[in-house]
Amino acid sequence: MELFLQQCVNALQWGSFYALIALGYTLVYGVLRLINFAHGDIFMVGAYIAFFVSTALLAPGLGLSREWTLALTIPLTMILTSLVGVTLERIAYRPLMRKGAHRLYVVVTALMCGLVLENGNLALLGASRKTLPQLLEKNVYDFGGIAVTNLKLWVIFAAALVFLVLHFVVTKTRIGMAMRAVSWDKFALPLMGIPLDSVIVFTFTLGSGVAGLGGMLFAMSYPVLEPYMGAMTGWKAFIAAVVGGIGDIRGAFVGGFLLAFVEIMVAAFLPSTFRDLFAFSILLLILWRRPTGIFGKPQTTKI
Amino acid sequence: MLRVTNLKAAYGKIEALHGISFHVEKGEIVTLIGANGAGKSTTLKALMRLPPPESAVVTAGDIEFDGVSILGVSAHNVVSDLKMTLVPEGRHIFGNLTVMENLQLAAWSRKDKGAAKDIDRIFDIFPRLAERAKQHSDTLSGGEQQMLAVGRALMTKCSVLLLDEPSMGLAPLIMYDMFRTLKKLNADGLTIVVVEQNARLALEVADRAYVLDTGEIIAEGPAGDLLQKPEIRAAYLGA
Repeated sequence: MELFLQQCVNALQWGSFYALIALGYTLVYGVLRLINFAHGDIFMVGAYIAFFVSTALLAPGLGLSREWTLALTIPLTMILTSLVGVTLERIAYRPLMRKGAHRLYVVVTALMCGLVLENGNLALLGASRKTLPQLLEKNVYDFGGIAVTNLKLWVIFAAALVFLVLHFVVTKTRIGMAMRAVSWDKFALPLMGIPLDSVIVFTFTLGSGVAGLGGMLFAMSYPVLEPYMGAMTGWKAFIAAVVGGIGDIRGAFVGGFLLAFVEIMVAAFLPSTFRDLFAFSILLLILWRRPTGIFGKPQTTKI
Repeated sequence: MLRVTNLKAAYGKIEALHGISFHVEKGEIVTLIGANGAGKSTTLKALMRLPPPESAVVTAGDIEFDGVSILGVSAHNVVSDLKMTLVPEGRHIFGNLTVMENLQLAAWSRKDKGAAKDIDRIFDIFPRLAERAKQHSDTLSGGEQQMLAVGRALMTKCSVLLLDEPSMGLAPLIMYDMFRTLKKLNADGLTIVVVEQNARLALEVADRAYVLDTGEIIAEGPAGDLLQKPEIRAAYLGA
């Protein structure tokens, strides 16, 4: 029982990482009907940005304390990572879509952008792995035999907070209303006097910023960074978004936590080599019963 | 107010408008009539400066609004700055938003504080929308959706309203109601350009009309005169 509860805490932590990435997939898909396959690598870029920002802030020149470094690295990482995401949209996706390219070509372009980010990182920074400086004094709390670090609690808290904020933005604000409107009908948006590009840029900003936060929290939990760290995690987060019902932010969260829960439990109670086999089989079963994901609604095409 | 001169527009290599000229004066109702594929919708979308691929690219000629060329203006600025908008063919309402949200969203570019008051005004014009304010708009009937599409356009506080086939798919009674409403809005100062396949209905409410045939204007004049012309009657009114 204790082992199970301990693993639940771990699942919540991993689920938070998946959810923070899955959100970006789902937001962009909701607005553009585009799978931004570079998004996992945006997560990786976020981890590296956190590394550079925190190292610079801690360096003797500035010499900030650890607490201040942490407090400043979070917003700076989110802002800089969202700039990377918005840049991709601006230089890679927008020109293609402007020319009326089929969505498939944009998806392939996104895949290529991801590879460019991975290998560009390798070429620029070399193969030696970077280590994120420790930004948070580690405390371990003991809840009746279950060990929980303060970092894990922060990760879970951050994911929950991000969910609440995004849910509020999408359902209650005007820009969120516009995001939902675009997902239904892109054609009519300019007729309301709303610049479509602003809505798209806002969406990429949100998605990439949240992925940047995810990258930073991941790097704090597992401080060794390498250029391909976003690839597998990104794929899994994408799958989580699809299982949850892509286009729906609740789906991204539920999907992320579900995937993490299955993975962690399989690894804990069965030979850990079965992890991906079981995890993906269960997800396949879900998609077989609910092809549009847990929260997804079947799309109807208007004639 | 609106002046189109020698406008040519093409979808890719296919030219859809072969140099049309027309004008709309403040306070008028002008109708463009013509058969399927004549270029009526293309003309309206060109006026709105909508981007391709949905809209054709202007290759020659000019569109002036109050004497200034608007070829370089983007669609959302046509709405926010020139105060002209379009009720598109097929309505294109945001079905995943409630009726209320559709109306609120359309007030996006307005700088004045009168949006809430205007929603009340639209509920006065279309009481059915008030009843359904909290409903997702894809649950509305065709006629109600058309009301919402017009109401939403009015929320932009437009002074020129373009309508593309507002009668499409509507039952006759609702269709007449809609045109009566348009006439009333026009009496309150709204300039209207309406594209219609139901030529008789359009000619009955319009001040002036242009007849479009395969990308060219083949007749124009006061709507009442066109209604009497034998060749127009034969080709477009089925009489």
